[in-house]
Amino acid sequence: MSAAILSVRDLTVKAHLDDETRILLDAVSLDLAKGEILGLVGESGSGKSLFCRSLVRLLPSSRLKIEAGSVLLEGQDLTAISDAEMLNIRGGEIGMIFQNPSSHLDPVMRIGDQIAEGIRYHQGLDGKSARRAATEILSQVGFPDPICQYQSYPHEFSGGMRQRAMIAVALSCNPKILIADEPTTALDVTIQAQILQLLMELRDRRGLSIILITHDLGIVAQTCDRIAIMRGGKLLEEGPKRQILSRPRDPYTIKLIHSHPSMPDAEPVAEVAVAAAPVKPILEIDDLHVRFRVGGSLFRGSAVKTVSAVSGISLQIMPGETVGIVGESGSGKSTLARAVLGLTPLTSGHISFEGADLALQRQASLKKLRREAAMVFQDPFNALNPRMTIGQTIGEVLLVQGKIAKADIPQRIDELLDLVGLDREFASRKPRSMSGGQCQRAGIARALAVDPKLIIADECVAALDVTIQAQIIDLFRELAARMNLTLLFIAHDLAIVRNLCARTIVMYRGEVVEDGPSEQVFSRPSHSYTASLVAAIPDINPDKSLFSDARRVPQSIPSIKSMP
Amino acid sequence: MSARAVSLSHAGWRTFLGKRTMLVAGASILLFFILMAVFAPLIAPYDPILQDGSARLQAPSLPHPFGTDNFGRDILSRIIWGARIDLQIAFIGVVFPFVIGTIVGTVAGFFGGIVDAVFMRIVDIILAFPFLVLMLSIITILGPGLSSFYIAMALVGWVSYARLIRAQILVLKNNDYAVAAVSLGFGRMRIMFRHLLPNAIAGSIVFSMSDAVLVLLSGAAVSYLGLGVQPPVAEWGVMVAEGQSFITTAWWITLFPGLSIVCLAFGFSILGDALGELLGVHE
Amino acid sequence: MHRYRFVFLRPLQFLPVIFGISIITFILVRLIPGDPARVLLGTRATPTAIANIRAQFGLDEPIWLQYLYFLRNLANGEMGKSILYKIDVLKLIATRIEPTLALVVCSVLLSIAIAVPMASIAARNAGRGPDHAVRIISTFGIGFPPFWLGLMLIILFSVKLDLLPVSGYGATFGDKLSHLILPSLTIALSLSTVLTRSLRAAMIEGLKSDVATAARARGMPERIVFWRHVLPNSLVPTINLLAVNTGWLIGGTVVVESVFALPGMGQLLVRAIFSRDYMVVQGVAMVFACATVLVNFLADIATVAADPRVKL
Repeated sequence: MSAAILSVRDLTVKAHLDDETRILLDAVSLDLAKGEILGLVGESGSGKSLFCRSLVRLLPSSRLKIEAGSVLLEGQDLTAISDAEMLNIRGGEIGMIFQNPSSHLDPVMRIGDQIAEGIRYHQGLDGKSARRAATEILSQVGFPDPICQYQSYPHEFSGGMRQRAMIAVALSCNPKILIADEPTTALDVTIQAQILQLLMELRDRRGLSIILITHDLGIVAQTCDRIAIMRGGKLLEEGPKRQILSRPRDPYTIKLIHSHPSMPDAEPVAEVAVAAAPVKPILEIDDLHVRFRVGGSLFRGSAVKTVSAVSGISLQIMPGETVGIVGESGSGKSTLARAVLGLTPLTSGHISFEGADLALQRQASLKKLRREAAMVFQDPFNALNPRMTIGQTIGEVLLVQGKIAKADIPQRIDELLDLVGLDREFASRKPRSMSGGQCQRAGIARALAVDPKLIIADECVAALDVTIQAQIIDLFRELAARMNLTLLFIAHDLAIVRNLCARTIVMYRGEVVEDGPSEQVFSRPSHSYTASLVAAIPDINPDKSLFSDARRVPQSIPSIKSMP
Repeated sequence: MSARAVSLSHAGWRTFLGKRTMLVAGASILLFFILMAVFAPLIAPYDPILQDGSARLQAPSLPHPFGTDNFGRDILSRIIWGARIDLQIAFIGVVFPFVIGTIVGTVAGFFGGIVDAVFMRIVDIILAFPFLVLMLSIITILGPGLSSFYIAMALVGWVSYARLIRAQILVLKNNDYAVAAVSLGFGRMRIMFRHLLPNAIAGSIVFSMSDAVLVLLSGAAVSYLGLGVQPPVAEWGVMVAEGQSFITTAWWITLFPGLSIVCLAFGFSILGDALGELLGVHE
Repeated sequence: MHRYRFVFLRPLQFLPVIFGISIITFILVRLIPGDPARVLLGTRATPTAIANIRAQFGLDEPIWLQYLYFLRNLANGEMGKSILYKIDVLKLIATRIEPTLALVVCSVLLSIAIAVPMASIAARNAGRGPDHAVRIISTFGIGFPPFWLGLMLIILFSVKLDLLPVSGYGATFGDKLSHLILPSLTIALSLSTVLTRSLRAAMIEGLKSDVATAARARGMPERIVFWRHVLPNSLVPTINLLAVNTGWLIGGTVVVESVFALPGMGQLLVRAIFSRDYMVVQGVAMVFACATVLVNFLADIATVAADPRVKL
């Protein structure tokens, strides 16, 4: 390994709050070699983002202070230099890109101008040369028409292109080190693979050193040379990629690796209970179309346009089945869920729940659905009324549903909390005082309060940390088995679906492109889109390379976002 | 991480004027004026209306701390009695629009469609008129006086509340917990008034404080123009108007009633700010 | 440039609003108790005049037909005659537009000139002395009654310092301007408090935003972060706020014109109310309402120009 370009020693950051002083970074020491990609892994609150911001003294609040330690950049201690000198380090030596390009790019400034700004400031070029250089960078990061796209505003691009634009803005300052803070978390897997590949190319071409902050061990396994694991402001473990992944020493690292929802190689998850007896499907969808009107009104002068969110889906779900629906954002999977529950009007086609047809007998089947189906939502905080305690929330459902006597409600609340693994004292707590995982358990308890036959879970683990994700998935598996629930599990994360569901349905642009036993769908996908989705998942095993030609994402499948 | 980071970064500027301090200060100012109004007969040193020819246009002195007006009436006593009228203006002028606007906004936002379109067109039309102009026009029809002012307020003032609540409801009804409530079979009334409104109303409560300032100023302005409270009743706006002819010689007649308005308005404003921070509402 | 297509289409959207405005102004006068003809002409009207106005406004016809007459007259630019001034209402209003328009423009410019520096200083020193000073001043300022503030300014600048004229309007440009200083300062001091508060909040938000963080992360000094990224992003909500406050601003001119005896539309309105000159009240209310609609339209254009994301 070549000499370290960046060498951090005992970096300590404390927060001085009104009543206490909290240690946010506890003597973290780390080296970054030239041309190296270092993966900084941890869950939310681990201090991984704060660590990187501390390097260039970009602390989120004036109450945070760097208390001790040194940051040596090619021998120069960054904790000792003046603020004016630091301006040259930021961007010029150490550049940053962030998770959410939509909020980090200036919405009212042209993309090209944002890139040119850095060039003019750091390299002192005049307007015209800066413009030329900016156009050149745009083409480097993969804009097909840089001269024209120079003039565009961030909102005119898709998420993936916006992330490329942000990388371009960072490159405009010509840094030696690039800090990438969860750069692909908000993106679909196929786009994620492209962005990761771009980062690796840039490393090779420009000799960049990269610190890649992520919660996803798969990404680290695929892209990084070394891994550092952080938790609670401490650096737990650090070393070459393969060593950490195959021989982790810290118990937390071991837990992280086990929680990672990687694709199992061959062994089937659960044998699909192929119903021998003629069982009637609990849910039957026949040629379902859901269209939305976009824009267009009498006075706006534009014709009314419709977009198809769901176009021509037919499905049968058997009682007790655990079905995963996967697809990228915009594939129509959430719309399908809402249509099934009667929350979105159907344009045409039929949905029948245990024989009650939502299109023909709307009121009757809605009544049935409300009493026998329930939903679990994505954002655990948003899904619960912030003004009500968990007990009130669950109690209200029991009261309205009226399936049990009023006097039994308190006891049933306790039972439900037990069932989802929450302490009974949570009945008197409000969502604000709970963690994301706890809120999600409460949300599941609320769904179970209906005593449903069918539960639809819409991206219900997407907002959670990996270890919590694993717990919630376990809970679902247990509940489905114990209560003979039919579970419709919607997710963009294929690995999770692969782990939980016996059957998988793949959606692409409002249509079902693949439907079958999970094992078969993932190991022998029949549709090229499924294949590209599966290929784009970063595996935790570094040997299953994301970027090998065999697994290269087929370019023939256009992303949904780039569709006209 | 994110929740903690936000609370940290907000903490910086809050320390000096802590929300607690502001809440207490605002409530104290308001309480001060309320007590003054309630106990006006006990604390006012003179009769607010009785004229005294021997004490005309006296500058502030010990027996008349705020001086006297051209009829020899004690300005301080008139200000104390005036608190009754001006507090009443702020209160009645806010309560009716608040109630009407909240109901209209909730219904319009929740049901959408035709109901919403009709109500919102009405709101647009009323908003097209400058507030004071429409109010003056209505008062023209009803004749000058405080009751005309209240009726005009109720007719015009609800639109702001309706708009505010409607916008909140539109956002909230697509929120996961509202969708959850629908999917769990809850009734419309329950969803509207138990799940949506309690979460939507914080903004209106905060706004009602700055609205109280607006109403207070409008009431005083209408009275100043001679179309609201009629002399000889003591009201701060009327008092300013009465002093206008004497500003070159007896500035105190104008200054003190105006300052009273400013102080009461300040109380409402900081109370509103404090509530806004407390409830997490951004205007 | 199809983002600006709404400039041609938006006026269509105003039609229902203008229609509503005409209904309300029509109803306003009809709601006055008593014989409309006498109401409109005053107590000393001649029988022939009454007969004339009955015919012109169709006062003996059913109410909906009366409204159609009203619309027809409106289309011909006739809104009746002023009792007090004995001339056409629209002609009368036309002579009063200039001072009011000048007052509004001066007030807005002045309030922006006050608000932008105040908010910038506050936001860039958030949590420190200057910020607290600005916050307290602007919170106080919101409660200043414009009529009272005007009188205080008169005491200070006209009576004590003898710098500026007390009231009225001049003949020459310079004279007019000097008569406008105190009235527009009165309105601007009130308006700027609202603007300052909103702008300050937007700027503080902006300085903490991801855009600012990203700019700092590429080494931009605070100066560039503020002027190039934070300020332009804070302008959009402020334009909206200005538009929302147009009605309020015009209401302010009514009062302030009365304080300073400025011969504008506001003063005309107040006098008309006192002399029961209903035709004038109706006309002024209508013109003010249409002006508000127009200002909102201009604000829409400004918003689209300031924010490329906005589509109307």
